[in-house]
Amino acid sequence: MDIDIQKGLALIRGIPNYPVMQSKVKYALLDISLSTLAAAFEEVAKRVPEFKAEIAGWNDGRRVAVGVLPRGPSITLEKRGDRINYLGKGLLSPDVSFLFKNLDSGVMVLTGLMSSHQAVAECRVLIDGDTSQAMELNRTLAIVETYLFPMIILKRIFKTPPKLSPGQLITKAKVYSALSPTFIRHMVQDLKK
Amino acid sequence: MLPNYYQFYCPIKILSGQQAVSNIPFEMELLGCKKAMVVTDKGVVDAGLIDIVKAAFADSDREIGYIFDEVPPDSSNHIVNKLAELFEKEGCDCFLAVGGGSSMDTAKGADIMVSEGADDLLKVQGVENITHDLKPLIAVPTTAGTGSEVTKAAVVYNEEKNIKMLFVADKLYPSVAVVDPRMTATLPPKITAATGMDALTHAIEAYTCLQKNPIDDMFAKTAIDLIRRYLVRATESGKDKEARMGMANAALLAGIAFSNSQVGMVHSLAHGCGGVSRVPHGVANAILLPWVLEYNLDKVPEYIAEISGALGGSGEYLEPKDQAKVTISLVRNLLTRLNQICGFPTRLRDAGVTEDKLPAIAKAAINDGAHTYNPKDLTYEVALETLKKAF
Repeated sequence: MDIDIQKGLALIRGIPNYPVMQSKVKYALLDISLSTLAAAFEEVAKRVPEFKAEIAGWNDGRRVAVGVLPRGPSITLEKRGDRINYLGKGLLSPDVSFLFKNLDSGVMVLTGLMSSHQAVAECRVLIDGDTSQAMELNRTLAIVETYLFPMIILKRIFKTPPKLSPGQLITKAKVYSALSPTFIRHMVQDLKK
Repeated sequence: MLPNYYQFYCPIKILSGQQAVSNIPFEMELLGCKKAMVVTDKGVVDAGLIDIVKAAFADSDREIGYIFDEVPPDSSNHIVNKLAELFEKEGCDCFLAVGGGSSMDTAKGADIMVSEGADDLLKVQGVENITHDLKPLIAVPTTAGTGSEVTKAAVVYNEEKNIKMLFVADKLYPSVAVVDPRMTATLPPKITAATGMDALTHAIEAYTCLQKNPIDDMFAKTAIDLIRRYLVRATESGKDKEARMGMANAALLAGIAFSNSQVGMVHSLAHGCGGVSRVPHGVANAILLPWVLEYNLDKVPEYIAEISGALGGSGEYLEPKDQAKVTISLVRNLLTRLNQICGFPTRLRDAGVTEDKLPAIAKAAINDGAHTYNPKDLTYEVALETLKKAF
């Protein structure tokens, strides 16, 4: 069976321009994942007290970016008051950036196959800026992942899987329901630019 | 167990042994360098260690361009700027850092400014942001602990922004590390103990952290073995050349291990103790190490257990968790022994920490990058609890 699968994969890899197509698919997947992450950041910041507490110490106007090197997609977010606002695609003068070294590393983290902590530990991420601010960003990313990914993924990727109370599960449902409208609003915002 | 993925890189030529410093001019020739900028501090000069370096150049066609001896205990951007300007003005072509971590960091910082053409270090802080080849750096440690002579990191304090800028990049590895027992012979017992425990913490954290790998494991275990054999001896008798060499090599091997595997929660808490209460890094590491090992015990008992042999544990069979407890008690025994020899502090309260500072230390610790590599999460609550136990 394994040999049949390997043969099938080899056939697929032999398709002309397969590497180009594969990287385009990964790019598109990451683009969507980052846009979803941006929407999740905004929605979690609105609703989750521990997230609000985490960003309370951030200076107003701090810009953080998450993206993929060397020419992959990226997003920039900004802290305003007790909220996080999506500024747009690209690296828009961020104070601290969290940049995956390649598409594969980005895919692993943004699709829930690997935690952001593990990606840092495995040197899959380039941190540009103040490292203590990068740690703060990493912690907020972990909170967002808690409200974005299902428990089955959280159990696999977190050192200590979070235990969500009924109230937190309701908040998680609210975040889910708000994701699509926010995602679309961001798309419109990007198109207007 | 192999990790899913790991990286290892150590492009440093190591000269270790009696009269190793005498080979520096020849190494400069191999590197194509003629004029060295010596980077050191007043303490090293007063101890007569720069005279040993000067003597090495006496019959050589290489020369010392300038001796910069203004390195403070914590390197700052102003000192780095001054050194970079002097380097250009004196027409030097390599750095020769003689001292502890601060001298190495200052030389690395100035090297970044000179080679990267960076007018502001803030722009290149972070991980892997240095892209240009740097001027050769020859590192001569005068303590046996930090391992800075073989690491790819530098910390420089920014006086205007009041932050510690961290630089981590493969380009920051020194070209040559020179380990000569004459350079550590004058270290007082308490500093010998503190720097030795710093090296032990590097090795143990490298061996038990998330990014442990088979190559670093070899370096870490050999370092632990050397520390078990020589730390007490070197602390008791500074003139014991064999013990000094053993400890200098242990620090170097532990440095190679943690430069690739990284460290963990002990370092995050120790950085917090240093930043908030000015506790010397090695002292904080030593006090916190057994408590953090206890915290990590249920997650990585096998790794902690495997160290017990190198630390001198008995060969009888024990379940991993029980063997790991032996490791922790051996670390505690070593700490107690050092306390008996030189009054080395065993609790944070004895090292100048006051109880009211513990929350601030915990807060600083969770913003420190080192605990990313710890097998278990470090939250504010865990940090505070561990600090209270060690207090």
